[in-house]
Amino acid sequence: MTNAPAIETHGLVKSYGRVEAVRALNLCVEPNCITAFLGCNGAGKSTTIKMLLGMIAPSAGEGTVLGKRIGDPNESREARGKISYVAENKPLYGYMSVEQTIRFAGSFYRDWRDETAKELLYRYGLPLERKVRLLSKGMRTKLALLLAFARRPELLILDEPSEGLDPVGIEELLQTLVGQCAEGTTVFFSSHQIAEVERIADRVCILDKGRLMVDASLDHLRESYRRIDLVFPTTPCEPDFRMNGIESVRGAGCQLSVFASGNVEAVIERAHDLRATSIEVAPVGLRDIFLETVKEN
Amino acid sequence: MLWYKAWLETRTRFLVSLGFLVIILTFFVHHAESILPREPKASTYELMFFAHSYLAGLWMLCVILLGMGGLLRERAAGVSSFTLALPVSRARLAAVRITVGVMQSIALAIVPWAAILFVSAIAGRPFFVSQASFYVLLLVTGGMVYFALAILVSSIVDGEYTAPAVAYGAAILVGIICGSVSKLRPFLDLWRFITGDNHYNKTTHLLSGPIPWFGIFACLCVAALMFLASVRVIQRREF
Repeated sequence: MTNAPAIETHGLVKSYGRVEAVRALNLCVEPNCITAFLGCNGAGKSTTIKMLLGMIAPSAGEGTVLGKRIGDPNESREARGKISYVAENKPLYGYMSVEQTIRFAGSFYRDWRDETAKELLYRYGLPLERKVRLLSKGMRTKLALLLAFARRPELLILDEPSEGLDPVGIEELLQTLVGQCAEGTTVFFSSHQIAEVERIADRVCILDKGRLMVDASLDHLRESYRRIDLVFPTTPCEPDFRMNGIESVRGAGCQLSVFASGNVEAVIERAHDLRATSIEVAPVGLRDIFLETVKEN
Repeated sequence: MLWYKAWLETRTRFLVSLGFLVIILTFFVHHAESILPREPKASTYELMFFAHSYLAGLWMLCVILLGMGGLLRERAAGVSSFTLALPVSRARLAAVRITVGVMQSIALAIVPWAAILFVSAIAGRPFFVSQASFYVLLLVTGGMVYFALAILVSSIVDGEYTAPAVAYGAAILVGIICGSVSKLRPFLDLWRFITGDNHYNKTTHLLSGPIPWFGIFACLCVAALMFLASVRVIQRREF
């Protein structure tokens, strides 16, 4: 077990013509914890993951995964031997049966655990003889997850893993991720399901339009982010509240809503100075933080 | 297990092609022999030459079809990320696919010829195994250029139907170019090489002369270059 970052990137850029899908990304994923990777559709999450796995080459910048450089094909191959990856659309060969797929995937990894594979096969109720192309979306997702969880990888990269799963399946997935992390696996997953992220993530990275907007622990986000609702006798001046740590200020008549990632005390003091008649400070959830972050950008 | 994957991926195409070639060729030979005079034997030998020409044409269609697939087709089907996430180099992925394809192409030449020899022997018109081997050698080595062309096209051109269409078009183009050049340098005619026309003795109706090692070497070199180019393309490509 090492304290070196599981994933580290410096100024990672991916351009498609004039479009920059990922812009100067400086990412640091700590080992042995669960990091959620959030972002709207087209934010650059999948592109980042593909760069980390050597599927596409960065236009600029550099990065390492488990200490192996992502730009070097040989090092990237070595890293992939220690990574379990579940892609967004759960791609599997339609011409293989479930059994063939499990045997095929298992043959590439030293950390493959047959007993775990059998246990998961039983738990997920996957039909061994059925061709993958005949599986439902949920079943295909379960098979993809089985292939990832039947190993003891150093790093788990999951791109929207709960997509296609029913609530029971999602609950099992979340518990498994927590269990994997407890066994020493670093989990890095992208998701649109904020509630799931809030339940299990230790750290959260929010990507918007290719830029990393937030990279902090979930506890830190919960502690530092606040919504401050203010009411004034006359229409307040929004720029009065533009200060360090203030993410957004929205006014409606005599009311003002301030979204702060810090400096809450200063906002309250300013509100008192401006003779606010009501000051309400409320903690915010990850959903609000995410929405405010992508809205502001 | 990559071999197993490559086999599963091409199994249907290969077996259908094999069945198709065996049925067509044995039917042709069996039917032709029934209307040939018993003597002279030369008529049988001439028939074998024509059978081989038919086999060569159909074989080329089949190996071009076998050459389709690979990572680009997987990307179109949305499964390339599963393959690329494996701890395997792209060069190895391509090499396994090419090797399996080459072995299948050889089988597509040997098995129909074995069937022809069998049908002929049953009909009481045995043919020389050495002559059949000569035909197979020319077909496999010369025809490898077409298989390599298909592999190269499938590494460059996307699409389930576009890639085979382009590959067949390119094969026709190669045939036309070789045909035109052969007017100046007859030994450059790939089709004549594959069918054995360059070695066909019109009196005995048998292939004669030494094995064209230079031609074989040249064809294999061209094929190897195209294989190499396709591996390089796949290594540089983004998925």
